[in-house]
Amino acid sequence: MIRIEHLKKEYPNTTPLKDVSTVINDGDVISVIGPSGTGKSTLLRSINMLEVPTSGHIWIDDVEITDPKCDLEQVRNRMGMVFQSFNLFGHMTVIENVMSPPIDLLGMDRQRAYDEGMRLLRAVGLSDKALNYPDELSGGQKQRIAIARTLAMDPDIILMDEPTSALDPTMVGEVQAVIRELAKTGKTLIIVTHEMRFAKSICNRVFFMDEGGIYEDGTPQQIFDAPVGEKTRRFVRGLKVLELDIQNTIYDFLGMQTAIEEYCVKNQMPYRMAKHIHLTFEETVQQNLIAEYEKPDIHVTIEYSEEEETAVYTLDYSGKKYDILSEGNELSVSVLKTTAGDPRYEWDETRKYQNRLVMNIL
Amino acid sequence: MAAIVLTCLAGVTTLAKGDEITSKEQLKEPGRRIGCGIGSSAMLFVEDEFPEAILVYQEANEGYESVAQGKIDAYAYDRRQMQLAIDSGRKGVRLLDENLEEKVHVAVGISPKSKIHQLQEQLNTFIELSKADGTIDEMYDRWVVQGNEEMPDIPRYKDSNTILVVGTSGIVPPHSYYRGQELNGFDIELAYRFAAYIDADVTFKVYDYSSIIPAAASGDVDCIMANLNITPERAEALPFSEDIYTEDVGLMVRDTSSVGEGFIKSLKMSFEKTFIREDRWRLFVNGILTTLLITVLSVIAGTALGFVVFLACKDGNPAANAITRVCMWLVCGMPAVVLIMILYYIVFGNISVNGIFVSVLAFTLIFGSSVFGLLKMGVGAVDVGQYEAAYALGYSRQHTFFKIILPQALPHVMEAYKSGIVELIKATAIVGYIAVQDLTKIGDIVRSRTYEAFFPLIAIAVIYFLLEAFIGLFISRIHISILPEKRGRDHILRGIDTHDKD
Repeated sequence: MIRIEHLKKEYPNTTPLKDVSTVINDGDVISVIGPSGTGKSTLLRSINMLEVPTSGHIWIDDVEITDPKCDLEQVRNRMGMVFQSFNLFGHMTVIENVMSPPIDLLGMDRQRAYDEGMRLLRAVGLSDKALNYPDELSGGQKQRIAIARTLAMDPDIILMDEPTSALDPTMVGEVQAVIRELAKTGKTLIIVTHEMRFAKSICNRVFFMDEGGIYEDGTPQQIFDAPVGEKTRRFVRGLKVLELDIQNTIYDFLGMQTAIEEYCVKNQMPYRMAKHIHLTFEETVQQNLIAEYEKPDIHVTIEYSEEEETAVYTLDYSGKKYDILSEGNELSVSVLKTTAGDPRYEWDETRKYQNRLVMNIL
Repeated sequence: MAAIVLTCLAGVTTLAKGDEITSKEQLKEPGRRIGCGIGSSAMLFVEDEFPEAILVYQEANEGYESVAQGKIDAYAYDRRQMQLAIDSGRKGVRLLDENLEEKVHVAVGISPKSKIHQLQEQLNTFIELSKADGTIDEMYDRWVVQGNEEMPDIPRYKDSNTILVVGTSGIVPPHSYYRGQELNGFDIELAYRFAAYIDADVTFKVYDYSSIIPAAASGDVDCIMANLNITPERAEALPFSEDIYTEDVGLMVRDTSSVGEGFIKSLKMSFEKTFIREDRWRLFVNGILTTLLITVLSVIAGTALGFVVFLACKDGNPAANAITRVCMWLVCGMPAVVLIMILYYIVFGNISVNGIFVSVLAFTLIFGSSVFGLLKMGVGAVDVGQYEAAYALGYSRQHTFFKIILPQALPHVMEAYKSGIVELIKATAIVGYIAVQDLTKIGDIVRSRTYEAFFPLIAIAVIYFLLEAFIGLFISRIHISILPEKRGRDHILRGIDTHDKD
């Protein structure tokens, strides 16, 4: 069991982990996902103290590894790690890479380490490469050897830091197959990954990381199919988001048009859709809301799914009840009908923004 | 090849017709180049008599060569010395009939730090007595005028409590030179006689003229008996005894009339003079052994030092790093010759230490710094992922360094390590400055006897090449043996039954 309490990691100019607390049970297979720069690798590397946390505590079973007096080497013997860049020992042959750690660190006799090493190499399909050097292997082969090296120590916990990210797409499959087998062995497995479909298929638990911690923790079904958090939903659906705020009748209209332009170009939106977003923004905000409210407070959200090629335009604004499509000027309404469809207007007095208009960009 | 080219060049310049110098008057013209020993009496006399001349500072043997090659117009030096060189076969030069106006005063230089009681008074009394009973005249006649090389029997006090340490040059026949492996000459006999006079045992230390005065000033020797001229500057640095004798200063000029011998014949003669005569090859063997000893000890100790310092600094200990930086800055910031002289004359100035020890110490520091730098470079070239992988498996820091990092770092730097050693062999050529007789110094000693600049130099260059090739080969062997890819299957799988049926 791994218990993490109030873990914080600070660097001079960034704080990837603000306050993380969680418990990981024996046999859990956990995928850690999230946008880049949200501390996924930092969390993983803190669990074996390759990163020394700024504050907080981590226990592996009953041993507090964040305690300076802790015998880290002994804890690490029972905890394997697979790296994005493989990190095989370049001066050793494949079989030495696999058999040296148990000989050096567990005092295993050479014959047994060799037999066990060859068994693992057969398991990852590379027993014929035993006497090759890492330089002579492909990326996928190297990563399979790295997994075999980790398994040779017979660890209880295995940490994998983006194990397939540095691989050619053609080699991802062979490594994933090995990890898939590993997930069935009952060892605790924590994988940082970008391959969400793969993550969904092997794990029993997912950490979605954002905002300096574990933003959402749940089963794959919850995280991928029915996410609770807004950011989780956007991430798992691959949504690209643009948010704009307008709090004055004199606002930087051209600046906002430019921001929309950049957002559309960056996400390679179809030209038609980009034009429609511009028009929708102009007709709703500029032509109607600014004219209607003396003190406007408007929040615009545009969500674009590249995969589905759909964009959702959401307009939140506070103040009196006002439905643009039924009460706004006629010219605008007729333009909006050509740029956005399926409009849904809601009024809810209890919200910060009482008015909400959601439309799908055509 | 290089040897042949050099010889041809020398031959051409010798035969070329320059203007013949026949009188002192000619040398008084502006722009004449006159050679002399630096700080010698001859230098001062030349400055007085030829104020328009350009002075070129050279020791005698180089001076003779320069005159013969027409690089300088004349060389001013002890007339008898130069006559002796010509009598011994020095070609392409002759002496002007006129001498310089002033004479050289030769005396014994005395260390102000000598522990021998009233050394100066005793020396003066000894010289007066020896002059009075005709001993000095008889010695001078025998060594200098007749050229008799036999050392007479003088009683020695082998187990005396007092030891007289005499600094001498070893390169100025007939005053102080090597006959075979033994020091010989007028000054040596004088030293024996004086030691006998004060009931002391005697030992000699051999120096270049440029470092002999500092050696006496620092107390490294009790006195200097090296045909030493008294000059006002030297008299400021050291007390001197009464004059032993005075000498004329002559002028050597180029002799265009003498014709060189056949190349092969002269090469044969040079070889005979340099190596065979008086068993001089033994000197070379000793020189090679000394050079090798200093190099090998410095390489071993320097490598160990570099390693130890690197290990102390590698984990970022601020104190160790600061000390290392300062020491590296000191050691690397000055020429090796300055470092070695500072160690010998200042750091160990008041302690009697062996010159070889000081040489090894200096080159250990120098080589240690370069090993430190190489390790830093090699270890820095190993990817940080290798550390992480080892730590993640549970290797300790030390275990990681020695088992994972070092074996990958060493192959990167072996080539540079090898050239570092070759550099070191060459750099050891300066130890002659502190009275160590290495290969280069032996070359000087032999040249002083053969009156030849060329052949011994080439011979020494060839020997250095051979030493470097030999050591290079040795290191290449080590290099290959530490390359992980060179290990055979049997080594990798030693002690393992692979269950192969075949």
